[in-house]
Amino acid sequence: MSTQLKTIKELGDMLRARQISAVELTEEYLAKISGSDRNINSYISVCADEARAQAKEAQDMLDSGNASPLTGIPLSIKDNICTEGIKTTCASKMLEDFVPVYDATVIRRLKSDGAVMLGKTNMDEFAMGGSSQTSYFGGVKNPFDTSRVTGGSSGGAAASVAGGMCAGALGSDTGGSVRQPASFCGVTGLKPTYGAVSRYGLIAFASSLDQIGVIANSACDCGIILSRIAGYDENDGTSAKNAGDDYISGIGMSVKGIKIGIPEEFFSAGTDENVKESVTAAAEFYKSAGAELVSVSMPSLKYAVPAYYLISSAEAASNLSRYDGIKFGWRSDKGDTFGEVISNTRREGFGDEVKRRILLGNYALSSGYYDAYYNSASRIRTRLRKEYDEIFEKCDFIITPTAPTTAYKIGSVETDPVKMYLADICTVTVNIAGLPAISTPCGYDENGMPVGMSIIGKTFDEKGIIALCDVFERNFDRREARI
Amino acid sequence: MKYQSVIGLEIHAEMLTNSKVFCTCSAEFGGAENSRVCPRCSGLPGTLPVFNRGAAYLAARAGFALECTVNNYSAFDRKNYFYPDLPKAYQITQFTYPICTDGKINVGGRDIRINRIHIEEDAGKLVHDDYEGISMADYNRCGVPLIEIVTEPDIRTAEEARDFVEQIALRLKYAGVCDSRMEQGSLRVDVNISLMPYGSDVFGTRAEIKNLNSLKSIVRAIEYETERQSEILDRGGEVVQETRRYNDNRGMTNSLRSKEEAHDYRYFPEPDIPPVFLSDAEIAEIRNSMPEMPGKRLERYTNEYGLREEDARLLISDKSLSDFYDETVRIYPSYKPVANLVLVELLRLLNESEASADNLKFTPDALARTVKMADEGRISKNAAKDILKILFSSGGDPVYTAGERGFIMSDDEDDLAEIIDKVISENKDSVESYKAGNQKVFGFLMGQVVREAGKSANPKLAKDLLMKKIREVR
Repeated sequence: MSTQLKTIKELGDMLRARQISAVELTEEYLAKISGSDRNINSYISVCADEARAQAKEAQDMLDSGNASPLTGIPLSIKDNICTEGIKTTCASKMLEDFVPVYDATVIRRLKSDGAVMLGKTNMDEFAMGGSSQTSYFGGVKNPFDTSRVTGGSSGGAAASVAGGMCAGALGSDTGGSVRQPASFCGVTGLKPTYGAVSRYGLIAFASSLDQIGVIANSACDCGIILSRIAGYDENDGTSAKNAGDDYISGIGMSVKGIKIGIPEEFFSAGTDENVKESVTAAAEFYKSAGAELVSVSMPSLKYAVPAYYLISSAEAASNLSRYDGIKFGWRSDKGDTFGEVISNTRREGFGDEVKRRILLGNYALSSGYYDAYYNSASRIRTRLRKEYDEIFEKCDFIITPTAPTTAYKIGSVETDPVKMYLADICTVTVNIAGLPAISTPCGYDENGMPVGMSIIGKTFDEKGIIALCDVFERNFDRREARI
Repeated sequence: MKYQSVIGLEIHAEMLTNSKVFCTCSAEFGGAENSRVCPRCSGLPGTLPVFNRGAAYLAARAGFALECTVNNYSAFDRKNYFYPDLPKAYQITQFTYPICTDGKINVGGRDIRINRIHIEEDAGKLVHDDYEGISMADYNRCGVPLIEIVTEPDIRTAEEARDFVEQIALRLKYAGVCDSRMEQGSLRVDVNISLMPYGSDVFGTRAEIKNLNSLKSIVRAIEYETERQSEILDRGGEVVQETRRYNDNRGMTNSLRSKEEAHDYRYFPEPDIPPVFLSDAEIAEIRNSMPEMPGKRLERYTNEYGLREEDARLLISDKSLSDFYDETVRIYPSYKPVANLVLVELLRLLNESEASADNLKFTPDALARTVKMADEGRISKNAAKDILKILFSSGGDPVYTAGERGFIMSDDEDDLAEIIDKVISENKDSVESYKAGNQKVFGFLMGQVVREAGKSANPKLAKDLLMKKIREVR
């Protein structure tokens, strides 16, 4: 049986109908990983023993009729989400041997559901990057073309789904880190509203922007997983009390009369022609199905990337200060004083991109520069939120490209930090405003690389964007990666 | 001295919450090293702080105790610096929006303004092992909620600083915010001090002296620093803005770091904790639940109860003793006799046994009944002291004790007359001596009577009768 592109819904039906056991299903995915991942490098750790044990327990749950929609479903977990007893590295030398003593809230919820966790996926170091090439454990390769990047930072998560090496994946999205790799790898990626999913146990990059997200083979699958991991958590002070646990009941909606906003700025921001065409065609599809396309505008979009990099780097600089070699993680054996040990530890433990962001962040927060940088960025944040509010007075959803380009060759764009940062233009505003968004493939370029479109919804309208996305997916001929 | 000292204080007080401010670990003092830590307060990756709202309520109480405005809106910021006792490498504090602002308290007739009170988390402790040449970190105190009280530079002398801190400590204790045990570090003081020529209104360059943990060291550090800065100014030199440390053994301050070496804390809003909103109703409820502050209590004791000011001050300086007194006089309003017994006898017993008045073996009611027996002449004043001693060591009922120990005074003149006759006949020399004019001998005779009659002898009656019988002796 080929499990590639099989949805969680299909796999769940097979498990409940005894067409396959949870253990057999897990073995199929483990075999796929050992066969394919040498070429892709989507996993940092494969937890075969744990996964087999979880599959056995899942089968017990299925047999006793206590199954949830995720019971026995093999998933991958981004390696910045803490798993008790299993290395959680953030793809950094700094945490190469770090074994958490607790499970993240999302992991606790998945475990109690009987989901099977196949392993921890590769990523950009500390989730900083859009190529998944900054990993200490080597870059991730795109299952559609292994000479190309997967996007990032959840590149391992996206590749593990696209390569059929799991049925669904948890990633994290700070400025597009779930949606953009999903777009590059031709799968569906959902970034929930800020506060919908507990961040407890997600190793922080930029706390006011980070959100755990889902990558899977369909919008419906994303909704199934989100329904099980979302919801209030007393361990996270920013967790929303009104996050629900049903994100799929909107599926089957009619798009008649629905207003979809098309913000022109997103299509002119250095966006490739073929990306523009595919996304425009997708919008036209909705129009032909009865939706109304509304032209909307986000004048401050040009400030979004600088504001994003100031806020996220400032928070990152502070969040990453705890890696001092004293309590856990890498510690340099050079240096006689606390100051020397900590300097050497951080010099040796962090990669270049992480250092770049720490420097940028600390600079933006320094006395004398705070107003010009961090404060200005905060004001832009307020303005972008206001512009989204105004746009959502005119429409129910927004459609944009997920990224200005498709996946590029490894060793090209990602070596130029400024070019890399500018490529985040289509995704960062969603994090800045805390909104939900979903990316799904809507076409393929001349090299056969997937193009992604994003649907952005109002706060806590995950149900709406999943349903709208599902309408398109049912009518789109998705291609399978050739691995 | 030709210079005026200008002094401002920053006082850190640990709040009496049960658990820490951002996790559920116990906030109690002590415990084996690192026995009160969890993934959160030790700053493990992925953990998040969750605010303990009890800390906001206590901080608001501190605000009312120090006559501040308690704000509806306050918010947390991060103060970033590397130090091994700070596991996250940032301290969560309230920088831009503190919970309380604009207070003042009167010290010896002068108002000292309080700029702000804000909530923050305490850091851990480093233990240095000089023998092994290593340092170890104990994170038990990490995350214990603090308030920092920041004054305006309104203080002018070391004594005023001491009196101010003493008053703050007492008020926080009364408000149930802090146990104010400077020796345990639950209240610590930083002193900012500069000098200016008398008559000037331009402040000089200040030095900050960190972490003073006794009233005595506050006074000595200010005196030393005043002296040091005066000498510099007298020489025509310039005081350097810097942070200094006070060395208690040598009674000196020495430089810790200069302005150039000062940290840039890179404050920014804490993204993990939503702002704290206190509704008008919540604030009103806190205000209404505030106990009487020591100043008001002092007025009550002196004006309404007629206690001497020094007695009243002594009483209010120990809140649990003062509470015990209040409860006693509420039951039996004999203000001065109760105060005398409490301040002389009970305080002595407490000091001897190093105990506190909040866990005595007897109730205010027992004390009230003891004083009442004495007031009514049913027992002597000395007997009342003896009963208090018994109550203190083993509790029990004072009336029963009085009866059992024979403290109830007898008014039976016949019994007493018999005893007096006996004493007179056995001490004829003394009686003659008295009659010959030696007044002192009366005391001796009286003592013999009391010894024969026991504690139940009514001293006044015995005295009158003895006098009369001596006069009758021919």
